[in-house]
Amino acid sequence: MSSNSLTLAPAPRSEAAEQVRAEVREFLAAELAAGTFDTHVDTWLSGVDPAFSRKLGDRGWLGMTWPKQYGGHERSAMERYAVTEELLAAGAPVAAHWIADRQSGPNLLTYGTEKQRQEILPRIAAGECFFVIGMSEPDSGSDLASIRTRAVRNGDGDWVVNGAKVWTSNAHHSHYGIVLVRTTPADPAHRHAGMSQLLIDLSLPGITINPIRILDGGHHFNEVVFEDVVVPGDMLLGEEGNGWHQVTAELAFERSGPERFLSTYPLVAEFARRVADSDDPAALATLGRLSARILALRQMSMRIAAALDRGELPNIPAALVKDVGTTFEGDVIEEIRRVVDVTPSLDSPDPLGRALAEAQLHAPGYTLRGGTNEILRGIVARGLGLR
Amino acid sequence: MSDQDLVVETVRDILTGFEPFALTAERRWDAGLWGALASAGLTGVGLPEEAGGSGGELADAVAIVATLARGAGAVPVAEQLLVAGPALLAADLDLPSPEEPTTFAFADAVTVHPVDNGDGPGRFTLNGTVPDVAWAGVASHVVVLAPAPAGISGAVLALIDASSLPATDAFNLAGEPRGSLVLDQVGTSGTLLTEAQASEVRARYALARAVQLAAALEQVLAWTVQYAGERHQFGRPLGKFQAIQMELAEMAGEVTAVSALTDAAVQALDRGGNVVLAAAAAKVRAGAAVEVVARLAHQVHGAIGFTQEHKLHHLTRRLWSWRDEAGSDLAWSRVLGAGVLAGGPDAVWPALTRVV
Repeated sequence: MSSNSLTLAPAPRSEAAEQVRAEVREFLAAELAAGTFDTHVDTWLSGVDPAFSRKLGDRGWLGMTWPKQYGGHERSAMERYAVTEELLAAGAPVAAHWIADRQSGPNLLTYGTEKQRQEILPRIAAGECFFVIGMSEPDSGSDLASIRTRAVRNGDGDWVVNGAKVWTSNAHHSHYGIVLVRTTPADPAHRHAGMSQLLIDLSLPGITINPIRILDGGHHFNEVVFEDVVVPGDMLLGEEGNGWHQVTAELAFERSGPERFLSTYPLVAEFARRVADSDDPAALATLGRLSARILALRQMSMRIAAALDRGELPNIPAALVKDVGTTFEGDVIEEIRRVVDVTPSLDSPDPLGRALAEAQLHAPGYTLRGGTNEILRGIVARGLGLR
Repeated sequence: MSDQDLVVETVRDILTGFEPFALTAERRWDAGLWGALASAGLTGVGLPEEAGGSGGELADAVAIVATLARGAGAVPVAEQLLVAGPALLAADLDLPSPEEPTTFAFADAVTVHPVDNGDGPGRFTLNGTVPDVAWAGVASHVVVLAPAPAGISGAVLALIDASSLPATDAFNLAGEPRGSLVLDQVGTSGTLLTEAQASEVRARYALARAVQLAAALEQVLAWTVQYAGERHQFGRPLGKFQAIQMELAEMAGEVTAVSALTDAAVQALDRGGNVVLAAAAAKVRAGAAVEVVARLAHQVHGAIGFTQEHKLHHLTRRLWSWRDEAGSDLAWSRVLGAGVLAGGPDAVWPALTRVV
């Protein structure tokens, strides 16, 4: 039937993944006991801790699937899946390296020059080099074909970049951005043509990083402004004019991971503590319902990890998982609110009240980042043969 | 073509001769469809030949149940192949002939007295009412799970010859018979199960319904996508309207989630793992999807889908029924909640990574 394009084969069971899962659990328990981090909601956006990222690099838990010659560990996507899932469930501070490990690295592996790979990938795998995604712009939102940041070659063959990117998570802590630019003027008849990706060192002259605060006052987002920024000619990523195809392929990595349904897992964990201390059958049933949704999402997301192991780029199933997963991340708040008597506050002495407050104030982001759910559903509709 | 593709093909071929019909008190099931399946040996698939079955794997039996659910086949195949048959075998009780329909029921209010010592397969007398018996009045045999006799822990699995027992008239929302059987000192063979074994039998029933729900949800989505492509309004197919695309994509998300989890739970059963939490999760997740998928399917189909002349109701009425059968959504949600909490509140995440 026509929904086959949305369906992937089940993920094979992986002993290696369960092995590394146990190692990560042990590591996290020791770190928590030592007080090196506190559990929070949505830490893959807001939990920046470069020292923690370096520890993960030392353990071999970054760049896990990449070739050893680039600092990787040649492990399976299923093993990487287990590691990322454990970090998210624990609410560990992973935001510093998240984008670099998840998508910029794989991007460089696929499209980067040998020089770019050798210089950058080992540093990402060591937890020492962080990236931002330079796709959205102030006037373009989800409509990436409308971007206006442009790059033109100067007499030396370098690129001169002008424009602005927005919603760049943690640009103020990052070293590079992979930035989608127009390298030929926009053509209304071919909206997806003429775009390219540049690998831009964020310390170059002409780059200004302006903070944009989110609802809880946190500074994760930025506006990154490029004014006559001279980017060396050899920092083109992939092919000139192939930018649209490259960002589309990249989105399978961006949209499919367990961070698309586990942002609010630390809230669920706090809720489970409350349920264990009560004898409220309604709360117990709610925990059961939330668990069933998590279990289904794990199966869907693991199928994508397995497809990545097979060398596929399952864009349409990834869009579907992200739609279902991020809807769940928000629903968790309402489901829990209905069965507990607690006031959300970032200052609450009750950890459940704090987790609820964090989850609530971050909630509008879940269904926006990485493509709004309306855009994702359009992609799913294409998979159903409707477009 | 794999073995399962072949099984599915065969069941589909048989189904083409038996279009779904609206069930009535006079026409409680599709005896003709059952007869055709039984003559093809399909009502014994997954049950070993030495026990009188047709052989084959669990996956074959699941494929048959799913295909019949897609076609709204009004026959007790899910109960027989996935619950009653395997439960009897595991309890060392004799299987009735697979050509005669056997169903399964929870008999929580039935009292059981051992006629002999009750150790291993033995003789018992059963007394009380078994409610909500799927295919009551249709099935020749009913396998019941009843509380163990006073003073003994666990439960008794017993095989009841239902051919001479009158069933009350009661039907689920789809018109499938769900009457009660009154047992008045009925003597039969049975086996004492441990609490864990009894839980697994209950879970098998929930998983059987989840398999049916998953298949019917997939079919409802496929029908709705097809309808949206064919039905024109305002000069173009419904499926070209963005609002309709959003609804179909939401349905697809729900259906994909249910399919992935149900597949995983079936695999867990096949591996011989403890399937209670996996089955609970599949049943609860499928039940949650029913609300979204049935609502949006009817919305997209418009008024025609709200009539008996259109086929949609054959599956949406079953979806609304099945989600609350074989243990309610509430009951299985509590089982799953308690299951993930069993190791203490700090072990919930590790528990979640072990269920499937």
